[in-house]
This record gives sequence, C-alpha cells and structure tokens, in this order.
Amino acid sequence: MRFRTAFAFDIRFQWRHGFYWIYIIICAFYLVLLHLIPDHYRDQTMLLLTFSDPSALGLILAGGIVLLERDQGIHDPLFVTPFRVREYLLSKASSLSVLSLLAAWVIHVVASGIPQSPIGFSAGIILTSSFMTVLSIGVVARCQTINGFILLSQVFALPFILPLLGYFKVWNSKVFLLLPTEGTLRLLTSGTLSMSLGNFMYSIMILLFWNVVIFAWAKMSFEQHVMKRIGKGGGGK
Amino acid sequence: MIEVEELHFTYPKIKEQTLSGLSFSIPQGEVFGFLGPSGAGKSTTQKILIGVLKNYLGSVKVMGKEIRNTGSEYFERIGVAFEFPNFYSKFTALENLQLFRSLYTGSTAEPRVLLEQVNLTEAANLKVSQLSKGMKMRLNFCRALLNNPQILFLDEPTSGLDPVNAKRLKDLILEKKANGTTVIITTHNMQAAEELCDRVAFIVDGQIKLIDSPRELKLLNGKKRVRLEYRYQNEVRNEEFSLDDIGENKYFLKLIREHPIETIHSLEASLEQIFIDVTGRQLT
Repeated sequence: MRFRTAFAFDIRFQWRHGFYWIYIIICAFYLVLLHLIPDHYRDQTMLLLTFSDPSALGLILAGGIVLLERDQGIHDPLFVTPFRVREYLLSKASSLSVLSLLAAWVIHVVASGIPQSPIGFSAGIILTSSFMTVLSIGVVARCQTINGFILLSQVFALPFILPLLGYFKVWNSKVFLLLPTEGTLRLLTSGTLSMSLGNFMYSIMILLFWNVVIFAWAKMSFEQHVMKRIGKGGGGK
Repeated sequence: MIEVEELHFTYPKIKEQTLSGLSFSIPQGEVFGFLGPSGAGKSTTQKILIGVLKNYLGSVKVMGKEIRNTGSEYFERIGVAFEFPNFYSKFTALENLQLFRSLYTGSTAEPRVLLEQVNLTEAANLKVSQLSKGMKMRLNFCRALLNNPQILFLDEPTSGLDPVNAKRLKDLILEKKANGTTVIITTHNMQAAEELCDRVAFIVDGQIKLIDSPRELKLLNGKKRVRLEYRYQNEVRNEEFSLDDIGENKYFLKLIREHPIETIHSLEASLEQIFIDVTGRQLT
C-alpha cells in the first residue's frame, strides 16, 4: 500500500520536476543520431543507446532526485512516518524503470520496430534500470555535493559495465560473465536477434542476483549516511 | 507513557558521551518541555525518543515498548514536527499533506480540516515554495497531526510565527493535551515553555539538571514579594511589599486605596533566570 503510494508520488515528482521532458529530449536526440548513423552500425549503436538509457540515465537521474529531495530537506519528515528505506528504494527503482522502459521502447520501435523478444528486451531494461537506480542511491547517500556524486558514481559504476569491452570486441574475459551488464547486453540483443532459453535464464539470474546485492548495500548505505542525519534540517530552511 | 532510565549515548567516532545517564518519566497527557542551550543533548534525546537513534545504552520505553526494538508500527502512533518545516516544494500544501497521510495505515485526520484549524485554508492549493516561513511552520504542525498521534514531538513549535498564529498553535497544543495526547516540546523559547509545559527539564552537557513544573520553579526561586507602581501627584513611584500577610499591611492597603495604581507585579523568578542560576549557562 505504502509502496504503491510512494511509486505514484515518485512519478508525479519526476513529472513535476521535468524529468519526463529530459527523457523526451534525450530520446529525440537518440533518434536523430540513429537516423544519421550508417545502416551497418545501426544495431550496435541502438544497443549502446538503449543500454545507456537505463544505466547512465538511471544512474544520474536517481542521484539527482535524491539530491533534490535532500536539498528540500524531505528525508527528515519522510522517515519519521511508517515509510521505510526499503520501500523508498523500491519505489525509486520502479518509477525510474518505468521511465527507462518507455524511453527504450520508443527508441527501439521508432528506429527498428518492435523488439524480437519483447519480454527479454523489457526485462533487460527494467532490471538494469533498477540496478543502476539503487546503485546510484547507495552512492549519493555518501556524497554531499553534486560534483562528488558525479565523480563517485562513475567510480562505482565503471566495474559493472566492463562487459561493454567484450561486446565491442576490445577485450574479453570470463569474469565478465559474473557482472550484471553481461546479462543486460544479452537481453538487449534479444531486441534484434533471437535468444536461447539458457541465455535468457542466465541473463535474468545474473541481473536479479546483482539487484539483490546492490539493494542490500544501498539500504545499508542510506541508513548509515542519510538516516543518521534525520532531524538536522536538511535544506530548504 | 515514556520511561527513560540511565540513558547514555555516544555518537560514532566521538569520545565524549552526548547523553550521560538521563532518567525521567512522562505520563500520558502531559506537555513536557526540554530546555537547554545548543549542543546540550536535547535533539539527541528527541531523536532517541522518536526512534531514529537506536544504539543507545540504558532503557527507553515508550508506550510500554523498548524503543530500540520497535519497527515502523511505532511511527503510526507518533507525530513529529521538526524545527525546519521541509516539504516537497513543487507540490501544494494540500498535496503534501495528502502524500504524508497516505503513508499511514491507521485512521488519519482530514487534511482540509487540519489546514482550517491553523488558518491555512486559503493556502491549500498554493505550492509550498510560495508559502512564508510562518505558513510552513503551521503546515508542519498539521503534518504532525495527520495520524492522530498519541505522542506529539514538537521542535520549536512557535518559531517564526506571528503572535496571533502562535497563540492559535498553543491553543491547539493544549487542546491535544486535553484529549490525552502527550506532547514533548524542545525549545529555546521560555515564554512558550511557561505557557505550554506542565513540566520542563533543563538539559546541559548531556545531563538533566532539574525537572519541575514552571510554576513551582518560579515560585520556589522567586521572591515572595509584590512590586507596586503608583502615581503620587505627577510622579510614578515604586514600592515592594512582602506577600506574607499582605492583606493586613496597612501601608500597602493605604497606597492602593488612596493612589492611582499603574501596575502590580508579584516577583517570582523568570524561567530564563532560573535556567541561568541552575545551569550557569545562557539559553543560546
């Protein structure tokens, strides 16, 4: 019940702060870019763009939202209600995943039609977006400034996106199989190519595993760094 | 309602204790005030009582339960208004109250009724960013009342309010008390504490130096005398008299019978002076 309320409110919050307009502008930019790219690079570029949608944007927007909330000092009154950190994280992850999913579908449908495996493609976007959103909240909880957040978020996110090196044939390693982005890339590829059940299951499992791990870490990080400051006033005085 | 015994608290990475052995109890329906200078431990005590800081030593029982063992259900039963009235600034006053209301599962108050009680009906559909500090303070108070709390924690409740709205808020606090709500106030404002609190605790250096009712404190620490200011011909004169047998003091009776009286004041101590005398510190 509280989760549903918080989810609906987060969507309204994002709308009112213009996050949906940011997404519309970015989608338009991506589509123009895809239109200009030669055909034989289009699939790879589209995958990169649909990957950056839930990951890079999720990472930056989630941190931005938490910083905005902190600036408004909203965590003080929020966490002296029955609303708990786990619900807060779930609501942020879900609301931003919806936004990412909409954007990814728009990009994919306009650029190359309906994904070949809609479920795999959607699952890839949702699980990657939730992973990056929660990672971002765990990082931003430790930062005092936007600059600090931008720097630290890159440090934390970079190891997880190493499988991109494999995808672009720069360097490959079996270790990449242990990272969530490997699952993301396989699921997003299912937008244009068919995918085996084993591949699908592996991708979902690795993303789910990392979602659980990062959720536990972000919850701890938020409790240690944000909840301890409750009552100090935050911003917006 | 609240039972605290030998409460000790030390913040991580800090050697000195912030709270050193606080013990007090607050019965249901009492308005209790924590008074003390900045850094004395008032906010830490409040944070422990509202369940935000749990790694304390000693015992803190609220509504019969040790506070470190409580979960989200505890927040269904308390209302908290921090000193800084923070809200979602791009949402209206009413939208903010509706959101916070929806976070409770128990019975809740109607936001529009609360807004009316604090004279904010006209501001219901204004964005919070358009409200003055005083309006936000009143909205802050409304938010703390949304879940009909059994215990209300108020930090500087009259800060930034004009006298009319401060009076309205104080009346609402006393109304809540009359209905059985326990109210815990943290404040620097001695006048508000005197008017509202059944008892006050003076906190300095993490210790309670004294707990008593403002009235008792003022009587015990004041002079049992009355100062009379009267007009004699074109001149204003002052005289002090002992309160003992004042009804039989012929000179006092003669003065009030024969001269126009400007003022009469009993000389009980002010709460602020008692605080300074007891703690050796100013309330800043």
